Amino acid sequence: MLQEESDLSLIIAQIVQKLKGSNLYAQLERQAWASLQRPEIKLESLKEDIKEFFKISGWEKKLQNAVYSELSVFPLPSHPAAPPEHLKEPLVYMRKAQGSWEKRILKSLNSMCTELSIPLARKRPVGEQKELLNKWNEMGTDEPDLSLFRPVYAPKDFLEVLINLRNPNYENGDSLSFRTHLGLIQVPLKVKDIPELKELFVELGLTTGQLGIDDSTQVPPELFENEHVRIGQKVLTEQDSAAAQQYIRQGSPTALRAELWALILNISSHPEDILYYEQLKTNVIQHDLLVDSLIYKDVKLTASNDDYYFVFEDYLYQVLLCFSRDTSVLSHFAYNSASPPKSYIRGKLGLEEYAVFYPPNGVIPFHGFSMYVAPLCFLYHEPSKLYQIFREMYVRFFFRLHSISSHPSGIVSLCLLFETLLQTYLPQLFYHLREIGAQPLRISFKWMVRAFSGYLATDQLLLLWDRILGYNSLEILAVLAAAVFAFRAVNLMEVTSLAAAEAVLADLSTLKVMPLLQIFLFATVT
Amino acid sequence: MSRVLVPCHVKGTVALQVGDVRTSQGRPGVLVIDVTFPSVAPFELQEIVFKNYYTAFLTIRVRQHTSTHTPAKWVTCLRDYCLMPDPHSEEGAQEYVSLFKHQSPSMTFPKWLSHPVPCEQPTPLLEGLPDPSRVSSEVQQMWALTEMIRASHTSTRIGRFDVDGCYDLNLLSYT
Repeated sequence: MLQEESDLSLIIAQIVQKLKGSNLYAQLERQAWASLQRPEIKLESLKEDIKEFFKISGWEKKLQNAVYSELSVFPLPSHPAAPPEHLKEPLVYMRKAQGSWEKRILKSLNSMCTELSIPLARKRPVGEQKELLNKWNEMGTDEPDLSLFRPVYAPKDFLEVLINLRNPNYENGDSLSFRTHLGLIQVPLKVKDIPELKELFVELGLTTGQLGIDDSTQVPPELFENEHVRIGQKVLTEQDSAAAQQYIRQGSPTALRAELWALILNISSHPEDILYYEQLKTNVIQHDLLVDSLIYKDVKLTASNDDYYFVFEDYLYQVLLCFSRDTSVLSHFAYNSASPPKSYIRGKLGLEEYAVFYPPNGVIPFHGFSMYVAPLCFLYHEPSKLYQIFREMYVRFFFRLHSISSHPSGIVSLCLLFETLLQTYLPQLFYHLREIGAQPLRISFKWMVRAFSGYLATDQLLLLWDRILGYNSLEILAVLAAAVFAFRAVNLMEVTSLAAAEAVLADLSTLKVMPLLQIFLFATVT
Repeated sequence: MSRVLVPCHVKGTVALQVGDVRTSQGRPGVLVIDVTFPSVAPFELQEIVFKNYYTAFLTIRVRQHTSTHTPAKWVTCLRDYCLMPDPHSEEGAQEYVSLFKHQSPSMTFPKWLSHPVPCEQPTPLLEGLPDPSRVSSEVQQMWALTEMIRASHTSTRIGRFDVDGCYDLNLLSYT
């Protein structure tokens, strides 16, 4: 068998294997059996007739969407000799760095546990369970004493770790030379330049209509907006994930956004999904976790203080507390360089049959984590749907923003992409900022780690996240960060301190993201 | 036809360097690895598997014995095969690589041939998708591979995160 064919067969085999355990498989089987009653299904041509039936009834489309979803999320199968950790992260030094970082987080959580004498997990007494169930929809009114809790880490702690990443095989000398990177990131990952980005983001070009630009009040809607909305409605009727992903590169009309995102992420709310969410809610009621306090603290510190998001405070608890209990999230660690923290049932240290993950979903929230959920509250009001969308966004995109990996959408690559774009296309600005002790990445890091949530106006943020979904990549975050610096370059050239530079870039709430991106990529003289 | 691992002896790397080999100034970009096959029985090599570590280009040369009368000669099987598309970045730097017999036009190995195999045409790039029924029969062979991959992943516990209703934990473990 030829190498290319065997690669394709392996991919097909893996996808079939994955889908076999899914709800869709069971449904397809049931439908196939049921279709035998139909007159058009003949025994002589059984296979072809059933296939035809699936095509007409829309089941083939559902299968296509599921396959497309698998292809978008899971990396291609690697070499048969490659161990599982290679799939998580191919570079050994990055794996080691991620391992050390995780150890630090675990130590921090353990010391919080022992200092405050609070257990990692506690079964709630029945009275407390009842009380929590009663105020499930208004947990925001609770004012627990969180003063002793501190976030496990903040983005700037994580940045320090990334700055210290070194490839042991990379020789660039101790002294500053042409070969040392001028920015903070010192690892030689491959990042795209503007010509390559123009190719990737071709739909953002000057001659293509965009929502966020060509739907402004001065532009007559007949020129672009009306037609774009009509096409969007057609895409939704067809229920085609791949078409939706292509369509959304030009932005999503507000009225269609919730459905389009659900289609792209292949989320459909079946009774089983609602039941699953209710089960997670029961888990929250039954057990109290230390991470719950971290979540509470994070929501109170970030989303509750935000003018746009404070109204959604209760939703945020309902999503994030359930998220911590969701063991299905564990499967994403197959392609995440991070690993879920492990613990043992008290008194059974070292006995594998009593080993558990903590928290159940393996994700320890950090300062600002709740901002990944907040913007979604504008789109989805039904808790289980909101939950499913957030979970899928997390396992496809957000996890990459706080784990150390060499993936092109990983935070390390995004940082390097940002710095390289700035150095290459705004060298004077970059040099000036360095000279005054204001390394640009120190300012833009927090924007990228949060995918700009809480920094942009919500309508602009949603237009940005449309493109993340459309291109299945987070690289646009780095491009936008560079575009923001380019936009405020004149003011930045006049500042003489880090504090002043930060002040220039403190308020992004008036920015319009699509014009900035378009100008930076397609209209800047290079 | 089943495939087995061939015992081989991989010698240490030798730098190709002009002049005094003890000079540390020059950093040679070419290293040579000798591989010998101590087993006497003839074999047909199908695949070479290795893990790369920052090698950009690979050349494989084979010492071929054509007959007992003529001296053995070195034949190049693979020249400058690219392992890292951009040698200054991490792409491909630590990847697992397989080299197959068909990739080399004249991949012949000593001690089993009395005359060299005629030059094979390099296989053409695949056009379009493979035939579905052929693929589905070959999928059977792939089950073994995917089972292996699946079995070694972190086992996902469906639904339950506790052990028999108990989730009373010690501290977190550092593995």
